[in-house]
Parts: sequence; C-alpha cells; structure tokens
Amino acid sequence: MAGSTTKTVHDIFQSMEYGPSTSSTATAQAWLDHHSQALGLFIDGKLVRPTERQTRSLADANGGSVCSTVCAVEDDIAQCVSSAVGGFKAWSELSCHQRAKVLLRLVSVVGQHGQCVSEVCELCQAPCSPSSLVRLAQYYASWAQVRDALITDWTPLGVVAVVASDDCSLYSLMLKVLPALAMGNSVVVVPGRSTAPPALLLAQLFMEAGLPAGALNVLTGSDVSLGAKVAQNHSISYVTYSGNKQDGGMLCKATAGMGVPVSLSPSVGATCPFIIFESADLDSAVDGVIEAAFKKKKEIQWVLCVQESVLDAVVSRLKLCMAGMKCVALPSDGDKALVDTAVQEAQQQGATLIQPCAAPSSGAQYPPTVLCGVAPSSPCVATPPPGPLLPLMSFRSNTEAVALGNHSPHGQAASVWTEDLTLALETAKSLSVGSVWVNSHSVSDPCLPASGHKDSGTCTDGGQEGLYQFLRPSSSPAPLPRFSPVSLDYAKFGNAASAAVVPDGSDPASAPKFYQQFVGGKSCKSESGSSMTVRPPGGSGVLAYCPDGGRKDVRNAVEAAIKVQPSWMRKSPSARAQSLSSLAKGLEAKRRDMAVAIMAQTGLSLEEADKEVELSIVRLSDWAARCDKAHGGAPPVPESGSALSLPEALGVVGLVLPDNRPLLSMVTLLGATIAMGNAVVMVPSQKYPLPALTFIQVLQTSDLPAGLVNIITGSRDQLTAALANHSVIKAIWYWGSAEGCQYLQYTCSSPLKTLWLHCHEEEGKNGGMDWSHPHPSLLEEIWRNAVQWKSVWIPTA
Amino acid sequence: MSARNPGMKLDLEWISKVRVNTQAVLKRAQHIQKHKLAKKQWQAAWLLKAVTCIDLTTLAGDDTPSNVHRLCLKAVQPVRHDLLKSMNMHNKGVTTAAVCVYPSRVADAVRSLKAANSSLPVASVATGFPAGQTPFKTRLEEVRTAVADGATEIDIVINRTLALTGQWEAMYDEIRQFREACGDAHMKTILAIGELGTFANVYKASLVAMMAGSDFIKTSTGKEAVNATYPVAIVMVRAIRDYFLRTGHKVGFKPAGGIRTAKEALVWLTLMKEELGDDWLQPYLFRLGASSLLADAERQIYHHVTGRYAAYHELPMA
Repeated sequence: MAGSTTKTVHDIFQSMEYGPSTSSTATAQAWLDHHSQALGLFIDGKLVRPTERQTRSLADANGGSVCSTVCAVEDDIAQCVSSAVGGFKAWSELSCHQRAKVLLRLVSVVGQHGQCVSEVCELCQAPCSPSSLVRLAQYYASWAQVRDALITDWTPLGVVAVVASDDCSLYSLMLKVLPALAMGNSVVVVPGRSTAPPALLLAQLFMEAGLPAGALNVLTGSDVSLGAKVAQNHSISYVTYSGNKQDGGMLCKATAGMGVPVSLSPSVGATCPFIIFESADLDSAVDGVIEAAFKKKKEIQWVLCVQESVLDAVVSRLKLCMAGMKCVALPSDGDKALVDTAVQEAQQQGATLIQPCAAPSSGAQYPPTVLCGVAPSSPCVATPPPGPLLPLMSFRSNTEAVALGNHSPHGQAASVWTEDLTLALETAKSLSVGSVWVNSHSVSDPCLPASGHKDSGTCTDGGQEGLYQFLRPSSSPAPLPRFSPVSLDYAKFGNAASAAVVPDGSDPASAPKFYQQFVGGKSCKSESGSSMTVRPPGGSGVLAYCPDGGRKDVRNAVEAAIKVQPSWMRKSPSARAQSLSSLAKGLEAKRRDMAVAIMAQTGLSLEEADKEVELSIVRLSDWAARCDKAHGGAPPVPESGSALSLPEALGVVGLVLPDNRPLLSMVTLLGATIAMGNAVVMVPSQKYPLPALTFIQVLQTSDLPAGLVNIITGSRDQLTAALANHSVIKAIWYWGSAEGCQYLQYTCSSPLKTLWLHCHEEEGKNGGMDWSHPHPSLLEEIWRNAVQWKSVWIPTA
Repeated sequence: MSARNPGMKLDLEWISKVRVNTQAVLKRAQHIQKHKLAKKQWQAAWLLKAVTCIDLTTLAGDDTPSNVHRLCLKAVQPVRHDLLKSMNMHNKGVTTAAVCVYPSRVADAVRSLKAANSSLPVASVATGFPAGQTPFKTRLEEVRTAVADGATEIDIVINRTLALTGQWEAMYDEIRQFREACGDAHMKTILAIGELGTFANVYKASLVAMMAGSDFIKTSTGKEAVNATYPVAIVMVRAIRDYFLRTGHKVGFKPAGGIRTAKEALVWLTLMKEELGDDWLQPYLFRLGASSLLADAERQIYHHVTGRYAAYHELPMA
C-alpha cells in the first residue's frame, strides 16, 4: 500500500488502475473501544464480562486484532439459561402486537445504527448488509403480529438455542433467531467466531428496541461444543444449528440422548450446481458464476455445469472476464496446500485451468481458478477444498443436466440459466434441492421457505413453513422428556438376537398362526427365515408368530420403495387421493378381520376394537381428502419476479410405530406420509404387531403401487438400527425407547436424516398422542413433518 | 493498436441465437454503478482519461462557424493549462478525442483546427441524422460529402425501420455501403437504442453493425427519448466482446446523449474496464459523446488541484 500513494496522475493515467479501496471502520472501532476490545457475554439484557475466563481473539482481514471474546463456562450457561427462562415468561406473556412492536422498533434501531452494524460485520469478516437485517426484522415483525390469527392452536417451545459454526454468516444466524423470537420463544444464541461481535451488538440493539431482558442471550465459546453444553441444560426445549456440515454432525452426536430435538441447516460448504443451458443468456450467466464462485467469503461451493453445445462460448467468456482478476485470500494459511493439491490432482487427470495469473508460491492467496474438464469422480468435485476454485463439467441433454446436478450428497441450492421458461420450471422441479434460482444466484429472502434436501438439512427456514420448527401444537403433550445420555455402545445397538422359535409339537388345531411381512408388494417371510413370538395381551403364552425381520429385509423394502416413490410423487394429488380412498374402502371391507385382530392383540372388547377400525377408516379418508390441500404458493418477494414455494415428498420414510392404538396410529402416520408423496418402510409395534400384519391384506387389495408401503416385523431395536444405517431413508419417525432415540440422534447425523422422536416409556405415563381425536393442529404437524419445501425464484425485469 | 474491423459476411444464424436476460443485465448495471469510484489522484487521472475520450459535440440548428470555432479550440485545450501543469500532465497531449458536428459544419471545424495547428479529428454525423428517414441515396451522398470536406470520422445512424422489422440483411447492406463511402474515415454506427424495443434487438443490431464493418458502435443520437443508459451499454459491450471472441477484431464503443457529470464519466470508464478490460479505456476504442460533460470534469479536476470548487466562469467556456 505504501508505494501506491506515490503514484502520479500520469502513472495512473497510463495504467488506468483502480485506486486503493478505503472503507472507514471508525464507528465500529468506537464501539469496540467502548468495550476495551474485550467483549463479554450477553446475559439478562446486559453485556457482562465474567473474570477468569479463557478468551478467544478475533483478527481482521489483514491479521490485525479486532477484539477478544469470552469462552463461557458451566456457571455462565446456568446463569444464562435461567435468565432465558425468565425471559421466555416475560416475552411469551406479551400480546402478539407487543412482540411485533418490539421487532418493528428493532427495524428503526438497526436503521439508526446501520453504519456501526455494517462496519462491525465488515471488520469481523462476517459481511451482512443492514438492509437484509432490516428486511428480516420487518418480515418477522409481521409474523409476530399475526401469529395467533394465522397459526391457530400452536404455542412457542420455550427456550430455543440457536447454534452457529465459525463460518456461518450473520444472515443465516439471524434467519433462525428472528423467527424464534417472533413466535414468542426466548433465544440463547451461540454464535461462531466471526459472528460473535455482531451478534453481541445486535443483542444490545434488541434491548434498545425494548426486548425484555433474558429473551435474547448470547454466549460465546471456543467452538461448537459450547452448543452441546447449552443443550444439556434441561430448560432448553429445542436446538437449531446453522453452519458447516462437520460441526453440525458433531453437535448431533454430542447432544444425542439428551432428549432435546436438534435440527440442522448445514448450508455452509454445500456443493451446488450452477447449470448453464444453451438457451441461456451466456454473458449474464458467466458474470453470475464469476460473482458467485470467487467471493472471499462464500457459503456455497459451486460446480459449473455447461451444455456441451455452448461449452466453448462459455470457456472463452470466462477467460476474458477473469483476465483482470486478482488473487483471493484463503480462509487460512493451511488451506493453500489443500488448494494446491486439489489443482495438481485435477491437472494430473487432464483438467485444464483458467487462471488470470499464476498461483503465488507463498502466502494464503490463490487466483480465481476454473478447472475445466473435471468429472464427478474428480476429488475437487467430490470433496472441494476451500478457496476460489470452480470445477467445470459439461452435459449433453436437459435430463443429463438434472442427473449431474442431483448426483451429490448435498441438496442446498441450484442456479439454473435458460431463457426457456418450460425448461427452467422442469429443471427446477426435478432438482433435489431446497432453493432454485433461475437466471440468478444466492438470492435469499425470509419469505422463501427452503429445506435443505438430502444431506443439506433437517428443517425448513423461511416463510410461514419455517416458523413451525419454533412451535408445537398447543394440544400436544410436552415434547421429548429430558434425559441424560446413557453410555450406549452404538456399534452393538440392536444386535441382540431374538429368541429362536422352535417346534414344540403342539396341537395342530390350536397351533398359532405364522404371519408374513410385506415387502415390495409381496407377503413374504423374513430373509433369515426365522420368526418371533407374538404374545397375547397378558404376556404369557403364544398368540402367533411373526417374521423376525432384519437388515436384509429393510434393504429389500427400501429398494422397492425408492423404485416407486418418484412416480408416486409425480402423480397428481387427486390420483393419490383416489388411491387412499380405495385403501379406506379396502379397510372397510376387512373391518371384521381387523377388529378381531385388534381384540386378540390388545385385549380390547370387539366393540371397542371395531371403533378403532371405524376411526382408522375415517382417518384414511381424511388424508385422502388432504392430498391436494397441502400445496405451495407464490411468496411475495420484495423484488420484481415470481417466486414459487413447493411442498415435496421427503422420499422414503422409516416408521417405527407406537404400541398405542396399533391400527389407528399406524394408518394416521401411514396416511400422512403417502398422501404427501412419500414411500414408507414401517416397523409395527413389537408388542402388538398383529393389526399391522392383518392390514397387509388390505394393502394387497388396494391399488397402491407395489413397494410404496412395506411392513417389516421383528425386534424394534434391530430394525431401528437397520433403518438408521440405510442412506436412502431420508426421515425416521420413531416411537420407542430412550436408548433408541439416543441411538438415532447419534447415528443419523451422517448422512443426515430428519428425525421425529417419541419416547414410549414417557408416553405410557401421560398418555402420549391422542390418536382417537387428535386436534387439527396435531394432524397438521404430522403432514408438515412429511414434506420438505423448495422455493423457486424467477426474477423478471 | 490493431487493424480496423474489416467486417465479415452476415451470419444470420449467430444473430438468431442471441439471448438477453433483461433482469440479469439490469442487476449487472446496478452492480457496476455500486462500484466504488476513484478518489484523489486516481480520480484526477481517470477524469483526464475521460476527457481524452470525449467527442466534443455540438449538434444544434443554430450552429455557426463562430461557436464551432470556440468548440474546436476548447477541444484542443480542454483543461486549463495551469491545472494540467500542477499535475505534470501539461505535456502529455491531453486533448479531447475529436470534435463532432453536422456535415455542413465539417469544413468550418477543419479550418479552425488547421488554424490552431491541431491534427484533432473532425467527426461528422451523417445519413439523415438523427432519424435516418431520408432516401438511401441522399444518406449515402451525405457521407461522401462529409468525407470530402475533411471529416475523418463519420457517425452514421441506422435505419430503425429495418431493425425493428428484423430485416437484418437489408440493414447490413446499407451499413456496408456507408462503410465503403467512408473510405479511410472511421465509421461509428449509431443504433438509436431508445427506438429498438428490446435488449435482444440492441444486441442483434450491434452484431449486424459490426459484421458490416463498423469501427465503433454508438448508443444513440442524443435526440431520442432514451439515450445512453448503463444496462443498454452492457448489452452492446457484450456484443462487442462476443464479436471479438469470434473474429479477433476489436470494435469500439461510444455512449452518447445525456452524459453530463464527471461522476457518470467515471462509471462509464468502470463499465468498460469491468466488461471489456483495459484495452477499451483508450480513445481508439472508447468515446464519450458529450457537450456539457467537459465543463464538469474540468471543475472536478480544478477541485483536485486546488481543493476548492470552481465557479463556471473560472474555467474557459467551450
């Protein structure tokens, strides 16, 4: 920099270089000075600085020290959470209007201190424009206002912990904090390294806006493990996380068995396709990809997919447009070696480079680089290193573009470039991602609901749909009871062999029946051939035998399910409704058999059993009718263009069914999942499997495609483990033991599965879910758990 | 400096494949306008560069030899000598790129410049400027007359009727003949983008003009309702880039109409640098068609040198 100030007018006249960019950070410095560059924790409405704590220092882009933050310890957590409990009381007792007023005041407070906010963000390398924060506050202020009017019979969860990894952006963090507050929860924020100072500053602004003390607390620490420590506190009702995949997985494992639901939005580092069709405005597309891929702070790892017919045109434009670009700073010194290795590997496999200049031999810098001619198998595509690298692949046809785009464990987002509207919409619908940006990229607005598909998330953020993660039906029993994790040998869970069934030479007339399970549309024995004893209600004696299913049976069922699920989802909702109606009719026809099975299994009177069948018929008809009632919309993005929000099936869902009301609970859950387009693998109650096994007759006569519904009986733990270890299964709904919940939380963190967990032991005590006459909001909760949301943004002039 | 654009055969297939996404272009334009502008000596240098790219223009019904004479002398010494000297730029040949007048005033301008011992080019608008709605024969004759009178640059207007109705072959033929009539004089083709309807049409017309051998493509006459805007410029410079990638020939770009402030001039330079690179920051590939811009640019330079804002009478008028 020193040399540049001596440049004469004539030098610059010749070279026509840009001047040094100077941005003032005076306001941010003044705020930091006010706190002596040593920030504390935000507890009970104040910035406090406990003594004798470890600190963590934060550096700016040039390596200079910005400030230090405190690493919170157990005492701080306890103090913070108890403040949050008080904060929840004060905050949730306010009227909707009063909460909305606070959030609206935040809008003007952030407006007044916009300069300070943006400078602090800039200094901490967590860029976030005040205008996007204002938009968030405005959007959620209006939701706070109308919560009770538009989301009836739902209630806030209590104290919500919002955890972020070091590389999470402030926007992603606030996209969780604001809806949580708007719905009436109190929030404990555990920000990452670079978002800590802005989060503390925002907490102060919240207080200025009139938020009750304790409704928002900020705890800083050394890494994401602090999030797990916070989750351990029994007053925390829900933990939601935003950031990179790795830390998210760690958080899941660390919180397994605590009995607190954890959801992840691992948006940082997701690999996303940037698809350029031949019908695209190539110049705009190339500008778009350069803007997206070579940012210093990027959350998304783009992979450029270009139609073969325009490959040369795109490559030549890339070369020209990148010609003047400068090196980009890498996140850390160690990353240089990673980038070098990735580039060398790609070159060894024949990739050619587009680079504006050669890579410097030292320093944490790298020039923007396009790797042409790589393939999905190349390491730089499969496990992209940090840094300004952009792999480029070509495709032949529209369908191949979708196949290429979908062939990734991630499902965060995609950018699609074409001037052909039909192609744009077809592609948008076929891509298995949460956000599709047509002729644009990285557009985020809180009104767009998006769930990361596949490995990219287990919850929906944004839109009305994103509010439900911070609510529960008012009539539902309290969520998971809190536990302390037990020491569980995860490798051995579900391995115990069940007691073998041996011939006992009993009287042929009264010999118990051998039932079969239902896989891929056929009734069959288990792969192992062995069976299990079904006990009558009293518990002693033998009522019947059912197959003792295992890993292989689950594998067969999932294979059958994934084969039919896509075409089932593509069917029109009315066609699905018809199939469900016919299933209800089939149940009606077998009414007597079903009632007898329930009676024999549970010991209810025939009359009561018949009533359960009756309710089950009504429930199936209910889901049939709801098939076309859960639909998307056109969210009002405050920019010119058209947005779509689309509910999509999760895919294959594993159901480990409750003991309670075995038939009714099964059809309630089954109906919801398949009504929304999913396929299911069901594990009936280990105690009461007969109603489900009898239901196979109904399934056989229905017109549901073979493989859509599978029923596998056997040891619950063994089958739970089998479901947990099949990557095709996207979600598991579980009714069972606390150990089972812990096992699933631990195991389903990679690859990620959406979990809906219910602990049986506890259900026995307080009755659990009311299956007979569930409140409408309970049924809504069920179907909302059966879908994931996709938003499509099509900007227009 | 590379050779003139010789043009090429009309490639209708290329033209038919043109796609422009309006909102993406608008976004890009916003992005460029948000670019931080140069400060201090960078600002002074960039403004001087802008000055050297100006086609200092007078296109009025009441133009006479006397105001054309003033214009020519201002073009030769666009920034006060003492100001240039204090930046050590007085001996670096800072003049505007050309003067631009109506065909009937070409002879006056040539005479004034010759008297001032300047080799500054004289540009003439031609071909039924600004509407282009005169018979082809007279439009062609206008070009020949202007060249004969000593104009070394000719700003022609295209026939919008042909462009709007998609008669690209006919338009190509007309421009081709104008280019022949220009001979050694450089030809700038005015697309009158305000009257072309869509961005895609602007892109196509740009390609046709370049295929027909234009040395520059120019946004507008300054007489239409919509003149040089950043989005439309992005469309045109992308066409220039596209043409360069296919043929290797560099065609220049000239925005004109409504460019009045120094700040706008800096944005234009940024746009060229961002979209086409440094080559297009020189007068042989970039011109600013303007009349009042120079006064503001000179004021800003005055401010850079003296730290004070000048009254208009402190700087010589054009």
